[in-house]
Amino acid sequence: MDVFFNQAFAGLSMASILLMVALGLAIIYGAMGVINLAHGEFVMLGAYSAWLLQSYLGLGILASLPLIFLMVGLIGLAVERGVVRWLYHRPLDTILATWGIGIVLQQLVRMGVGSDSRYVARPTILDGNVAIGGVVMSNYRIFLVFFSLSVLAATWYLLTRTEFGTKLRAVIQNKEISECYGIRTDRIYALAFAYGAGLAGIAGALVTPLVSVTPGMGTYLVVDAFLVVIVGGVGSLLGTAVASGLVGEATALFSFLMNDTLGRVAVLLAIIMLIRFKPQGLFPDKVRR
Amino acid sequence: MLEASALFSYYGKSPILQDVSFRVEQGSIVSILGRNGVGKTTLLRTIMGLTDGIAGNLSFGGKDLGRMRTCDRGRLGIGYIPQGREIIPRFTVRENILMGTYARTDGKRTLPDYIFELFPILKEFIGRRGGDLSGGQQQQLAIARALAMDPKVLLLDEPTEGIQPNIVRQIEDVILRLNREMGITIVLVEQNVPFARRASDQFIVLDKGRVAVAGTGEELTDEIADEFLTF
Repeated sequence: MDVFFNQAFAGLSMASILLMVALGLAIIYGAMGVINLAHGEFVMLGAYSAWLLQSYLGLGILASLPLIFLMVGLIGLAVERGVVRWLYHRPLDTILATWGIGIVLQQLVRMGVGSDSRYVARPTILDGNVAIGGVVMSNYRIFLVFFSLSVLAATWYLLTRTEFGTKLRAVIQNKEISECYGIRTDRIYALAFAYGAGLAGIAGALVTPLVSVTPGMGTYLVVDAFLVVIVGGVGSLLGTAVASGLVGEATALFSFLMNDTLGRVAVLLAIIMLIRFKPQGLFPDKVRR
Repeated sequence: MLEASALFSYYGKSPILQDVSFRVEQGSIVSILGRNGVGKTTLLRTIMGLTDGIAGNLSFGGKDLGRMRTCDRGRLGIGYIPQGREIIPRFTVRENILMGTYARTDGKRTLPDYIFELFPILKEFIGRRGGDLSGGQQQQLAIARALAMDPKVLLLDEPTEGIQPNIVRQIEDVILRLNREMGITIVLVEQNVPFARRASDQFIVLDKGRVAVAGTGEELTDEIADEFLTF
């Protein structure tokens, strides 16, 4: 039984990482209709930023988080201003374009840093474990759960309680009329894209103590994040949160019951069944337009 | 204050408006009439910069609108109340009105009190979602949103279309009050000839994308109505 709970807790911490990746993805998809296939590379860049800041400047992960958020956010801004904004009226082409950007970013890192795995130490203040009965929970993973929940809360606050968020929600629902009322939609799009990228960067930095840092590391995370967005329903923060938990836990538990590969297959089958019966995801947008 | 000369407006390569010229004086009410599909809505959309391109001149308060982005046109004080209202369905009434203030250049984000005096129902429903209001209430909300920006001119596209008669009357009265008491210039796309005649200082009848007849309110005769407005 303890093994089961340990596995469930590991799933929960992966779900936390997934939540931060998926939030950015969901905002970018919800706001602009852009399926950002370079999102995994933003995660990877966040991880490399953490490695860079730790090995050259001696900064710990926690101290470098704000910096990483800004750095990856700026890269996202550059991607949006440079490429994506020209393709808003051609949504299918954005898939190809962002995929291409992803490949370019991966190869740039491979050329610049090399393809060896890199390791980042977890913050020393989060060393140690909490044991409840036979269930051992590392402090770092507990921190991840709470941190991702605060990121969720911050995003909720940003979207519903700030002027930027209100403008973003207006643009999502009616771009044309938003422009008529003085909202600069291009600026809103750029900032939303940058915010999504920044969140991916943070997720990438925080995942470094759990996995090794490689140029291709973003790919598997972004697939899971897409699953989360699909399961949760587009445009719903709550849906994204619940679906992160579900996908994270399901992956952990199925892997525990079978093995990693079969677990993966089982998760995908479960999602296919879910989408068959709830094509809009778990928390669809119910308001008529 | 709002002036067009030899104005062409395009969707794709098709010119929807052709060689349209008009002049809207400050403080006046101008009605734009015509059958369905003659370009009335396109004319308002052209003023907001929502068509694919224009040729000719279009200016507001001496400023050239032609090259200006839509959001900057809003910031000049042009309040657009489109056909079908286009309020934001998932926004509350308050958020919808607040949205109007984003076009203000003084940065104020307070909702003017007189809006609720004009439309008491909006005060009552302040926390409801825009999508849950009736058509007439949505129309009032759309006007309130435009008023929140403190507009110099309002562009209203068939504000009484598909709305229950008692609210039609109320909306017509509000339009007149806004013009007479607050000096807001009104450009009104209208199917209702008697109201257009009663309210407007000037009228423009469009036909196939061109100005067919224009004149002062009293000159809008039944003959003109029969020729250009009946089907």
